[in-house]
Amino acid sequence: MGRPAARLYRALEGLFAVYKPPGVHWKLVRDTVETNLLRGLNGAPRPAPRSQVKFLPEPCRDNRVTLEASVLPVLADHPLVAGPQFQKLRVGVGHRLDVFSSGILVLGVGQGNVRLTEMYNSHNTRDYTLEGEFGRATDDFSCHGRVIERTTYGHVTKDKLESVLAMIQGVNQKALLTYSNVDMRSQEAYELAAKGSLRPQSKSPPIITGLRCLKFAPPHFTLEVHCVNETQKYLRRLVHEIGLELRSSAVCTGVRRERDGPFKLQHALTRQHWTLPDITQAVHCSWATWTGGEVNTVQLKKKSSTFKTQTVLARCGTKRWTLDMK
Amino acid sequence: MLVFAAVALSPLRALCEQRVERVASGGRRWLSRSSAPKHPKEERRGGPVFQYAGRRHRPKHKVFVWGFSYAGALGIPSFVLPDSGRKKCRKHQYTPYRLETEHQISSAACGYGFTLLSSKTLDVTKVWGMGLNKDSQLGFQVSCHDRQKSYEYVLEPSPVALPLARPQETRVVQVACGRAHSLVLTDAEGVFSLGNNAYGQCGRKIVEEEIYSCSAVSLLQVACGQDHSLFLTERGQVYACGWGADGQTGLGHYNMTSHPVAVGGDLTGVRVQQVSSYGDLSLAVSQDGSLFGWGNSEYLQLSAVTEDLQLSTPRHLPLEGVGKLQQAACGGTQVAVLNDKGEVFVWGYGILGKGPNLSEAKTPEMIPLTLFGRSEFNPSVRVAQIRCGLHHFAAVTDRGELFVWGKNVRGCLGIGKPDDQFFPWRVTVPGHVLDVACGVDHMVALVKSLT
Repeated sequence: MGRPAARLYRALEGLFAVYKPPGVHWKLVRDTVETNLLRGLNGAPRPAPRSQVKFLPEPCRDNRVTLEASVLPVLADHPLVAGPQFQKLRVGVGHRLDVFSSGILVLGVGQGNVRLTEMYNSHNTRDYTLEGEFGRATDDFSCHGRVIERTTYGHVTKDKLESVLAMIQGVNQKALLTYSNVDMRSQEAYELAAKGSLRPQSKSPPIITGLRCLKFAPPHFTLEVHCVNETQKYLRRLVHEIGLELRSSAVCTGVRRERDGPFKLQHALTRQHWTLPDITQAVHCSWATWTGGEVNTVQLKKKSSTFKTQTVLARCGTKRWTLDMK
Repeated sequence: MLVFAAVALSPLRALCEQRVERVASGGRRWLSRSSAPKHPKEERRGGPVFQYAGRRHRPKHKVFVWGFSYAGALGIPSFVLPDSGRKKCRKHQYTPYRLETEHQISSAACGYGFTLLSSKTLDVTKVWGMGLNKDSQLGFQVSCHDRQKSYEYVLEPSPVALPLARPQETRVVQVACGRAHSLVLTDAEGVFSLGNNAYGQCGRKIVEEEIYSCSAVSLLQVACGQDHSLFLTERGQVYACGWGADGQTGLGHYNMTSHPVAVGGDLTGVRVQQVSSYGDLSLAVSQDGSLFGWGNSEYLQLSAVTEDLQLSTPRHLPLEGVGKLQQAACGGTQVAVLNDKGEVFVWGYGILGKGPNLSEAKTPEMIPLTLFGRSEFNPSVRVAQIRCGLHHFAAVTDRGELFVWGKNVRGCLGIGKPDDQFFPWRVTVPGHVLDVACGVDHMVALVKSLT
């Protein structure tokens, strides 16, 4: 019928990425994934119920009561008594995405939640694609906000946009050096700066490590941003500030996360694939992504089996006291 | 919360405030915030549309100054003499500060405690000077109290009177400043020199206007060393005059020269495209990209070709691995060159730009371009100009960013702190930097706004 539920449960330890559609709260995504995983686990074959030997009285022909041994299943293991086998699953969320944004959302399950903390502490960069539109400024910097001002944008050219992007990159480059917690007067600072590998290793404000314009078709434009320690509202505000620098105004029409650490968009599962078999496979593959090697079943950590598989005792002694096991 | 984001925000906040003022003064009605929620379609259609920049909007040209202000070299009088009793004097300006000028400044030069700005206008006033004027390096600045005396310190950019024959037909091309003298190069009337002539650096025995306008030799560039002057003609010939105790005049002797004499040595027959000097060393870059040097070599600047401490005639410097050179710049103890690929090489003594461990180098050391902003996002960033002050360097990239490094003498680097900088650091200047002039303890940047 399939692998037993316990084995499937043990295989669910690690990280995987889902694609969060826009307009959906991240918690709803997490709850849906957890519900689907539990449904899949509880649909898998349960372990067979434990058996017990019971000595039941049996009336004899000459009015004497004798005890006859019979093997019966334990009632406590009946599904209607015990309930579903799995009722809670520890599914954690990595760097969150707000309601307006879409893109890759890293989730962790079981022991993978420890990996989430490691990812957070490693301060790795994330890639976003921002879509903007010139001509309007709103109060929450997105296209759904209340319009504060409308401006012309006929004077905006790609050269002007690129010079503004270069200015923003230069400012952020300096911030990167300042927050990297290295003494600027040391040789180490020079060597790290020359290699370009200075990164903030602790809490810092949002810093943009790379910014470029992918498409420019006024009033619409698309930017690619690589950043660290950011929030999506900060990125929408970035689009607004670019509009101000160009003596016009801009709103953000879309924020999409393309990469979070080692997880890229091609690793993300869409809504149709938020099921147990797909997520198990994604967790399997993410070990390779995390460790950077090929997936090898021998290398996978296996917990020691505490759950003894019970073999159904063939004999079910009496004809009268059998119970139907569903 | 967001410390450095305020850097990006503050010009924008100022722009927002400007915008409110402009709207208020223009008489347009601000969009009123009505309490009733509007239908989104109505909002899109209705309401005024503001125009902040028309089709013919051009970027503005600005001047930024920073460094030591007490000599008046920054041109902002309130730093030295505060407007109100409550304010304090500002001795060091650690970050770039906008200097308001009426005309668009095309050339700037920083001397030892003074600054000259020039514009390509055809008006009568073309050059402005501020700072130290004890040797009349800024010309005669008539004092209000006594018309026979000149100001010793000029705190504001004041016009420098030039005795031009046809003032409304001549344009000033370039200015250069040395320790106590300055040179002004015009397009039709030659070079004018001002200031200290104790060593003949102003070449004043012979009147310049007559020589250059009669012999029809027009000049491409002038450069001032500490107490000597270099002139580069259109045909690539270099002339020098002034103090020569270190051989910086390159005329074969170590005496003073009081009039410009053609420089020979390895430069005979060579077409020079650029000369540079600020201390006691002189450098020339030829049209085919080779470097010639003469003068002081106490700090290994000319060690490629000689072990002597001074060279009195120009010698060709055989440098390896630098490629075809485009620009050279030298300060008091260090040298920097720029090749046609936009790479910067440094050598000499002092803070050279490769960390605190490299304090002297005999051979050119390249500074990695990642420090100037080259990355996978911007793979083609290169340095467009290189300048030297007495103890520091400045580089302008082709994206209009200014990078400085070296000794931070009285805040001259403009990085916001008084510490020395051991590798190239970006200076936050609001705009696209076109040119920069380095002095001993102050700098001036000519900037164009981004949009």
